[in-house]
Amino acid sequence: MIGLPHFLVLAGVLFSIAVAGIFLNRKNMIVLLMCIELMLLAVNFNFIAFSRWLGNLDGQVFVFFILTVAAAESAIGLAILVVVFRERRGINVDSLDAMRG
Amino acid sequence: MNLLLSLWTEYRELIVLTVEIIAVMLAVVISVALMTYAERKVIGWIQVRHGPNQIRIFGLPFFKGLAQPFADVIKLLLKEVIVPTNADKFLFLIAPLVALTPALATWAVVPFSPEFVLADIDAGLLYILALTSLGVYGIILAGWAANSKYALLGAMRSAAQIVAYEIAMGFALVGVLMAAGSLNLTDIVRAQSHGYAAYGWPWQAAGFLTWNWFWLFPLMVVYFISGIAETNRAPFDVAEGESEIVAGFHVEYSGATFATLFALPEYANMILVATLASVFFMGGWQSPFDGYLAPTSLLAEPSFMWLALKILAFLFCFLWFRATFPRYRYDQIMRLGWKVFIPITLVWIAVESAMAWFRVGPWASLG
Amino acid sequence: MFVTLLFYAFATVLVGAALGVVLSRNPVHAALFLVLAFFTSAALWLLLEAEFLGIVLVLVYVGAVMVLFLFVVMMLDVNVAQLREGLTRHAPLGALVAGIMIVEIVYVVWVRELGGTLGPMPAASVASVSNTKALGAVLYTDYALPFQLAAVVLLVAIVAAIVLTMRKRPGYRQQDIAAQVAVRREDRVRIVKVDPAGRP
Repeated sequence: MIGLPHFLVLAGVLFSIAVAGIFLNRKNMIVLLMCIELMLLAVNFNFIAFSRWLGNLDGQVFVFFILTVAAAESAIGLAILVVVFRERRGINVDSLDAMRG
Repeated sequence: MNLLLSLWTEYRELIVLTVEIIAVMLAVVISVALMTYAERKVIGWIQVRHGPNQIRIFGLPFFKGLAQPFADVIKLLLKEVIVPTNADKFLFLIAPLVALTPALATWAVVPFSPEFVLADIDAGLLYILALTSLGVYGIILAGWAANSKYALLGAMRSAAQIVAYEIAMGFALVGVLMAAGSLNLTDIVRAQSHGYAAYGWPWQAAGFLTWNWFWLFPLMVVYFISGIAETNRAPFDVAEGESEIVAGFHVEYSGATFATLFALPEYANMILVATLASVFFMGGWQSPFDGYLAPTSLLAEPSFMWLALKILAFLFCFLWFRATFPRYRYDQIMRLGWKVFIPITLVWIAVESAMAWFRVGPWASLG
Repeated sequence: MFVTLLFYAFATVLVGAALGVVLSRNPVHAALFLVLAFFTSAALWLLLEAEFLGIVLVLVYVGAVMVLFLFVVMMLDVNVAQLREGLTRHAPLGALVAGIMIVEIVYVVWVRELGGTLGPMPAASVASVSNTKALGAVLYTDYALPFQLAAVVLLVAIVAAIVLTMRKRPGYRQQDIAAQVAVRREDRVRIVKVDPAGRP
C-alpha cells in the first residue's frame, strides 16, 4: 500500500535531483531557473501529502500560494535573464562578474 | 466463448466506456472532415461561386463534392513526409500528436444530451481551461522543430496570441461559473433552465430567454471572439498568414503530419469552441421552447438535436467571419486581447457580482 | 492495487523527467522534460485528492510559466557547449551530494518513521463538497489577507517584468491603434464634384 513515506521519499528524491542539477549546471542560467522550479515542486508534494494525511486543507492553501509566488518569481527571473542576454550576448553566470553594467 | 462472456461481465463498464470513447472520437474526426467541406462550400457561396462539386460519392448524381474531404485526406496520407535537415527529428514528429491530444481530450467532459456525457466530473470547467491552454504547445514545438525562420516566427506570434486570448476566455468562463454555481458542465447546462419567476412571463418560463446569453451577453461575445483568436481562424489568422509568412508554423510539414498537425486540431478546436459556446451560453441540449410549450410536446424535449443546431449556428458564424473580415494586423490582435477584451470581462464580472448582490437575473431564485 | 501501480508508474516517469531536466544537452529538451514532470505531478496530486491544485498546476505552470520558459529559450541563441564544460568534472560530486541527501531523507522518513507514524492512507473522504468549493470556503474567509497579498505579489511581478524588458529604441516609430480606430469619416473622406468634361 502507498503510505505517507512513499510520497515524502519521492519529494526528497525530486529535491535532491534539483540540487544536483544546480551543482552540475551552475553556468547555465536557464537550467538553474528550471531546477528552482523542480525544488518548489518537491516542496509542494510534501505539503499536499501531509494535507491528505492530516485531513486539513491548510496544506493545499499553502501550495496555492507557493504556486503563485513561484510563477511570479520565474517571470521576473526570466525578465532579468532576457536583459542580461541583451547586454552580454550569453547566459553564462560567470559573465556577471562586474559590479557595474 | 465462455472466456468472452466472463470478460464481458467483469469489465462491462470499461468496455462500454471504451466503445463510447471511440464513437465520440470517430464522430469528431468525421465532423472535422465534413467541416472542411462545409467551409469551402459556404465561403464559395458567399463569394458568389460554387465550392467543390466534382468529387462524387460512388458516382451518385446528388451531393456532388461531398467526398472532397475524403479525397483530400487520402491525398495527404499518401504524400511524402519530408523532415528538414538539422531539424529536431523527435520533436518534429511528436508536435502533431501534442497538438492533437488536447483538441480531442477536451471532448470527454462535453455533455451531449441529458444522458450522455463521457466523464461527468465535478471540475469540468477547470479541465477544459487546462486543456485549451495546452493547445499552444503543439504550435511552439512545430515552429521550433522545423528549423526554419518562418516557422519559428509564425509559432511565436501564434503562441503569444493564444496566451493573450486564453485569459479573456478564462474570465468569460468565470462569469459563467458565477451564474451557474458549479464547475460541472451538466450542472451549468441545467442551471440555465431555471425560470426567473420574479420577472413574470416570458422570463418566468425556462427557454430561450433564460439562457446565459441574456445576462452574460458581453461575456458570450468575448468568449466567441476569443475562441476564434485561439483557434487561429480568420480574421485572427496572422499565424497562418497564407499571404504573408507562407503558412507560418506548419510550412515545413507535409503529408500525414500536416493533416495531424494543422487540419485536424484546428477544425477540432473550432468545433469544440462552438460546442462550448453553445453549452455555456446557449443552453446546451435544452430546447428554446422549453417552458413555452407543453413539456410533453416534441419541440420542448431536450435532446442532442438542439445542441447540434446551436453548434451548426456557431460554426456558420466562424465561416461567415472568415469570408467577411480582412485580416487583423498582429499588434491590433494583441491590443484587442489585452486592452479591450480583458477589461470588458473584468467589468462584466463586477457587474455580475452586483447582480448577484441585488438578486437580479440568475440569482433571483436564491432568495 | 491499481492505485499502487499508478503511483509507481507516475513516480518513475517523474524521476526520469527530473533527471532529464538536469542532464539534457539542449535547453529546449530540458524545458520539455520539465513540462513532463509537471504533468506527472498533477496526476499524482489527483491521486492525493487535490484535484483543484492538480488541474491548476497544469493550467498555470504548464500552460503559462513553461510557455514563458520556452519562449525565452527559443529566442535566445545559446552556445550550449560552453555552458556544459563543468558537467563531467563535477558529475561525481553532484551525484554524491544528491545521494547523501536522498539517504538522509529516506533514513528520517522511512527508517526512523518520523513521517510515517500516521499510518496508511486515510479512507477517501466522503465528498460532500468538491475540493474546489472546500478550498474556496477556506481561502476567502480564513486566508483572505494572504490571498490579497498574493495578488499584490503577482501585480509586482507583472510590473517588474514589463519595466525590466521594455525599451524604447530611438527612432522607433509605433502605430497608435487607438487613434487609428477613433478616426472619423469626415477627416478622411471628402466628396468632390467633378465635371465629366474635366473642367474643375
